[in-house]
Amino acid sequence: MIKFFFMIVFLVSNHIFSILEIEILKGSDNLSKVAFVPFGIESGIEENYGIQISRNIEKNMLLFGEFENLAVNEMLSYPSSENDFYYRDWKVLGVDYSVIGKINSVNALGNLNISYSLFNINRRIKILEGEILGSEDNIEDISKIISNRIYEKITGLRGIFDTKLAYVVNSDANTYQMCISDIDGKNEQILFSSKAPIMSPDWSPDRKKIAYVSFENGLAEIFIQDLQSGERDSIQALGMTNSAPVWSPDGKSLALVVSFSGNPDIFLYSIRNKRLVRLTNHYGIDTEPSWSPDSKKIIFTSDRSGSPQLYEINTKSKRKKRLTRDGNYNARGRYFPDGKSIFFVHGNNGNFQIATKKLSSRYIETLTSTSLDESPTISPNGNIIIYATKDGSNGYLGGITLDGKARFSLPVKNGSVREPAWSPLLK
Amino acid sequence: MNKALTSLNTFFLILLFLSLIFSMFSIPKLNIDETQSIKVNFYELIQEDDILFDSSILNTTIKKETKKASVNDKKAEPSEAEILSKFKINKSDIKNEISKIKLSKEREDILRVSAIIQASISSIWIKPNSLSESLIAKVSINLAPSGEILNFDLIEPSSNNSFNESILTAMNKMTFLEEVSFLDRKLFEENFRNFNLVFKSSGEIE
Repeated sequence: MIKFFFMIVFLVSNHIFSILEIEILKGSDNLSKVAFVPFGIESGIEENYGIQISRNIEKNMLLFGEFENLAVNEMLSYPSSENDFYYRDWKVLGVDYSVIGKINSVNALGNLNISYSLFNINRRIKILEGEILGSEDNIEDISKIISNRIYEKITGLRGIFDTKLAYVVNSDANTYQMCISDIDGKNEQILFSSKAPIMSPDWSPDRKKIAYVSFENGLAEIFIQDLQSGERDSIQALGMTNSAPVWSPDGKSLALVVSFSGNPDIFLYSIRNKRLVRLTNHYGIDTEPSWSPDSKKIIFTSDRSGSPQLYEINTKSKRKKRLTRDGNYNARGRYFPDGKSIFFVHGNNGNFQIATKKLSSRYIETLTSTSLDESPTISPNGNIIIYATKDGSNGYLGGITLDGKARFSLPVKNGSVREPAWSPLLK
Repeated sequence: MNKALTSLNTFFLILLFLSLIFSMFSIPKLNIDETQSIKVNFYELIQEDDILFDSSILNTTIKKETKKASVNDKKAEPSEAEILSKFKINKSDIKNEISKIKLSKEREDILRVSAIIQASISSIWIKPNSLSESLIAKVSINLAPSGEILNFDLIEPSSNNSFNESILTAMNKMTFLEEVSFLDRKLFEENFRNFNLVFKSSGEIE
């Protein structure tokens, strides 16, 4: 009898399985709208700081075109604490998130206590609040820290506003400069200037050194430069030319290209004991190595099949695997920070574009729509790619977010900019 | 007697199990286009195939009969009446057709409203950037006949927090799904009083 009863229950409950389900696969192309309210100030502090800090945060957040902002003069109120904050004031303006804050003075030496909050207007909840102690002189750095935290809270990705970019500027035919700057182009520093070409900069994982190739002595030579002291050393590996250095994720060795008698192959170079270990040995050209995030594999370009294609080699077993088969030009491959996908330069009928490919999939996807793109570099959070491209004869840096929603170009420099390399995150 | 009872019990149990399995697999999936799909599982699909099937039977019988006719002249030609009888329309057929049309109209309404709901939620859902994993989250919604969202609940969250947050934010933006207010009340009660939204991310770069 009980079983019979159960059966009835089951038969009745069958209709639970037949509830209507609507699948939502596509998201909106709209961007989240964020209001950056000028920070409130305690009396006695310079009035400018409140506006300056909110404007800095706003500039950072808008840098890669990932958000939309609300103009300050459109705001209905300027709250600086939760007590004065009314969700309806922002809801009517179509705002998704609001950032408010306040600057308090700690002492007469210019030390400040900056508090901030982030609200999700649609959910009507405060999703972040924090406090930072700092001084009047480093308002810009404080803004970057706050921007990072807000960005992380909204997107779930690491904030990258305190990262840097290394690049080569070719201001005229005979001047090459190895430069670094903040990711927003500010605080540019020239590390090294030369009449001969400079190429392939790469950051050490601790962000303290940069390796690059310089032709100052006539041949391609790899230098490691310390950013603090400015000291530079040639690594003097064997062979005729050395090029394309990339740091291993642990910072202890470089993968590089050494050419003995004109045949470039991939080698590993241990920085401490200056030993060179051969990784590939083929009569074709093997070049442009790059490490997988787990340091177990290296991706490289080789023309062993007749055209440049990407391969992957296991550093221990030295087993190789071909990664690309579409088209007759796929080069300068790099892994995504999660190691699951790669991005590279894909050539097609004379157009060179940045493309991505999931390692588990057969298909490649082109990201950019310009035609002479080269040397892509990815943000440490895996969300943005910056690449060098050309407008006529002038080289500049373009960027794109991986969801394809935003494209941007970095401020034009005096001369052609090439070979961007995005720094790792500060640890 | 006892034996008979237990075997009856076992039979019921098996029946119950089978009905459960069947109910899980009998959900038909209707594709709206390549990327969007809506699951509707209330009504049997109109069996358009049936019509084709019938006519093919008709064709084969005609063929067969003409073949026979050519082989054996003595046999009477396939009587036209016989073929015509296949086209004869019964009252029950008409009834069937009407109910089919009714069903197809209802199905069309469900699809149409589902597509509008899908589009309006898609237009406000800001998917987080660069999700490298494939994610699924399910939201259950209760609607009033006016289309007002009475309440919603993230019944099956995904493993990714910002994905879940983005869904809750989008759901909070939505207050009305007014297209359901134009629906037939019965249809509303059966389908849209309570339904699920399944948010998916393929993990591919789009």
